[in-house]
Amino acid sequence: MSLTWRLLRGGGRRGMLGTWLTLGAVVISTGLLLFAVSANFAFQGRAERGAWRNPVQTTGKATAVEATRDDYVQDKKITVVDLAALDPKADVPPGLPRFPAPGETWLSPALAELARRLPADQLADRYEDVKGVLGDSALVHPGELVAVVGHRADDPAMTGTRGEPGRGGVPPTKVETLAGTPTEDAQAYRVLALIASVLMVVPLLVFGGAAARLTVARRDQRLAALRLVGASPGQVVAMTVAEAVIVAFAGAVLGTVLYGAAVPLLTAIRIGGGPWFAGDLLPNPLLAAGVLLAVPLLVGVSAIVGLRRVVVSPLGVAKRETPPAMRFVRVLALLAVLAVVPMLSTSASVGVVAVVLGLAFLCINLVGPWVVGLIGRVTAKRARRPAKLLAGRRLVDDPRSAWRTVSGVALTGFVAGFLGLLSPGDALAGHVADGRLMLAVPQAKVAVVADQARERLEKAGVKATVKKEKGLVIASVGEADVDKARTALDGVVPGHSATSEADEQRFTSQLLDDIATGTVVVLSVSFLVAIASSGITSASSVLDRRQTYALLRLAGTPLEVLDKARRSETLIPLTVMGGGAIAVGVFCASPFMLASPNVSGAITLAVCVTAGFAGVIGAGALSRPLLRSVTDDPAPRPD
Amino acid sequence: MNDVLAGRALAKRFGQTVALNGVDITIQAGEAVAIMGPSGSGKSTLLHCLAGIMKPDAGEVHLLGQRIDTMKERDRSALRRTRFGFVFQFGQLLPELPAEENVALPLMLGNVSRSDAVRQARQWFGPLGLGGMEGRRPGELSGGQAQRVAIARALVTKPAVVFADEPTGALDQNTGHDTMRLLVEATKHNGASLIVVTHDPGVAGWCGRTVEVRDGNLLHSAVSQ
Repeated sequence: MSLTWRLLRGGGRRGMLGTWLTLGAVVISTGLLLFAVSANFAFQGRAERGAWRNPVQTTGKATAVEATRDDYVQDKKITVVDLAALDPKADVPPGLPRFPAPGETWLSPALAELARRLPADQLADRYEDVKGVLGDSALVHPGELVAVVGHRADDPAMTGTRGEPGRGGVPPTKVETLAGTPTEDAQAYRVLALIASVLMVVPLLVFGGAAARLTVARRDQRLAALRLVGASPGQVVAMTVAEAVIVAFAGAVLGTVLYGAAVPLLTAIRIGGGPWFAGDLLPNPLLAAGVLLAVPLLVGVSAIVGLRRVVVSPLGVAKRETPPAMRFVRVLALLAVLAVVPMLSTSASVGVVAVVLGLAFLCINLVGPWVVGLIGRVTAKRARRPAKLLAGRRLVDDPRSAWRTVSGVALTGFVAGFLGLLSPGDALAGHVADGRLMLAVPQAKVAVVADQARERLEKAGVKATVKKEKGLVIASVGEADVDKARTALDGVVPGHSATSEADEQRFTSQLLDDIATGTVVVLSVSFLVAIASSGITSASSVLDRRQTYALLRLAGTPLEVLDKARRSETLIPLTVMGGGAIAVGVFCASPFMLASPNVSGAITLAVCVTAGFAGVIGAGALSRPLLRSVTDDPAPRPD
Repeated sequence: MNDVLAGRALAKRFGQTVALNGVDITIQAGEAVAIMGPSGSGKSTLLHCLAGIMKPDAGEVHLLGQRIDTMKERDRSALRRTRFGFVFQFGQLLPELPAEENVALPLMLGNVSRSDAVRQARQWFGPLGLGGMEGRRPGELSGGQAQRVAIARALVTKPAVVFADEPTGALDQNTGHDTMRLLVEATKHNGASLIVVTHDPGVAGWCGRTVEVRDGNLLHSAVSQ
């Protein structure tokens, strides 16, 4: 261990630069990994907190009756929970000090604030006896509009039918406890979060692994020398792994701290109708400990894999022999996974989809170096100028390292291709209240309710036309009077709110907005990883090949030729692999298409491709001063 | 006489250390000169200054009457590519290129087409005893073979001067002997001058003249037998 520490510290300025690069890579990986994993726990937290509002019918002794409905104000949804106790020992609802007595109302903080701010006839008049404010444990997200209303058990709101039970609510349900169960919508969000996590975690693992091998790449010559002087394979492995793990642990700790500091910013991401509680996104201690353990472990394992050639043959690295050719079986693995994709459909189980997606992702990563090697051979064969020849030969010589530079963007291309097709179509977005408010009423009561509605609206000073249809009473009001009319009609049908057609579409609209937001979040994470990855790998490749570059300059090669060779080395495989990965992503998404490919999806893809190329070129250009500095003294020296 | 390369009053310091202290040296056409001296004497610095790799702090370097030490890096780089050749102790071959492409690279950098460059490069393999090794990578060559490939690469552009820094330092005595013989003969055959930096009198013996450097000063010049 002490020798490892001395090797780490004594690596010189360039050696330490490599260590800093690895540290930076691990910090970014850890922070983003925590984000990807915490997002799942966050959606789980939301699902669990919202479960009490999704009652489960009891087969035993009922202690309470619970019903929910959706009401609206200013085009925002209010969840109204109607409760009636059947037993004095009924569960106390979350966020309340006691079970609400008949006639009492508790409002969420955001709803209470809104009720104070708006004229009473637009909102506050809907609630009779407001007793207090709901605690956070009753809410799915901060800023959520929720009202909990107490009733008598024989109140018509708690016994009668509520007309059409649409998406927005649960009819009166006798329950034993208020534990409830997560809603189907909440489960759907968890599934989407899981898919997003898979899409983010795989590039992160690849990036983390690349970072680990970056440490090894810098040390391999020295470690090969240690093998040559008689160090056992075990000692070499132990030293390298210890070095990688020390750096990775420090990076994981910093990454965790960085993620913790970023949580207040991340809570502002609006998904599922609102932002997040900080507690949802903060990793629990067990998760944080798991990441702090797993990241150094992953880095250590990658280091062992990277060292395999040194350990097996100490001359393998020292003599730079032709590396073993990649096996075609890599391509067969990807083809096998792609063959499964057409068999999937929207009804396929989520687990299967996640596994296929993950496998496709990993196979792209397996095929990558093989394709890079092939591209290298073609480039070298057809090259006419030195820069292309050098680039091609470099790709053939070390396709894995070239793949590491472009893998991030290629894998992001896969994500962009996959999500590009899943983006919502423009036709499905954007619904506003159109002034036609509907009340679902049992057919026998339509005439009575229509008269009551007319009377209430008149009394509230709302100009309206009230029509009767089968099982419906429809009040057409001016758009400016919608909230006033909703308030006036509140309670006219017990346990039912007046809603418009736009209200019925609101969930679909929100879901599609959320998929768009999720796409942007996943792509932002992927691109951050991709660009950081290519920046770090291109800097490390300059360091690794400083002797080669110095010798080329000594032979009179202009710096521009070296730079051009470096650029070609990245851009040629990037073009082929980025395009290929996008195509595979589109192919994998095809069974799950929500709508035909649309303009916004195509724009997202185009932006991704442009940003990816620009990012990689930019990140590569950042290492040009490093290239200049390592070739400033072109006299060759052994390292 | 026909001077190809001349260094006048060359001085170079690295911090407090004096590497060259006003050295005068002249190399004539077709001449092979050995620069000898112990480690740290300044012999490699002298070679780097003469080859345009390093700028001296004072003094002048002339190639065929043209002053080169004041040239911009870009011009010196072009000069190294076209008028000089280099052979070093180790590692001068690009590990990812096969031997023939290593030799062809300087020609390609000088805008010779790839097919012509490779064709010209291959012509060197037979005379240097490397027949059949054109497609091998440096890692698949022995130390002596790699040095012969380096000699081919140094000479392929038909340079005016070839610089060799400890060219046999990593080779055994017999291989070193063969390598020096080939280096001297091939350079002479091409009409180029040769400057060899070494601390090995056996290597210096292959050259027509030996100069000795100590503490940055040129001590004396001797003609070999």
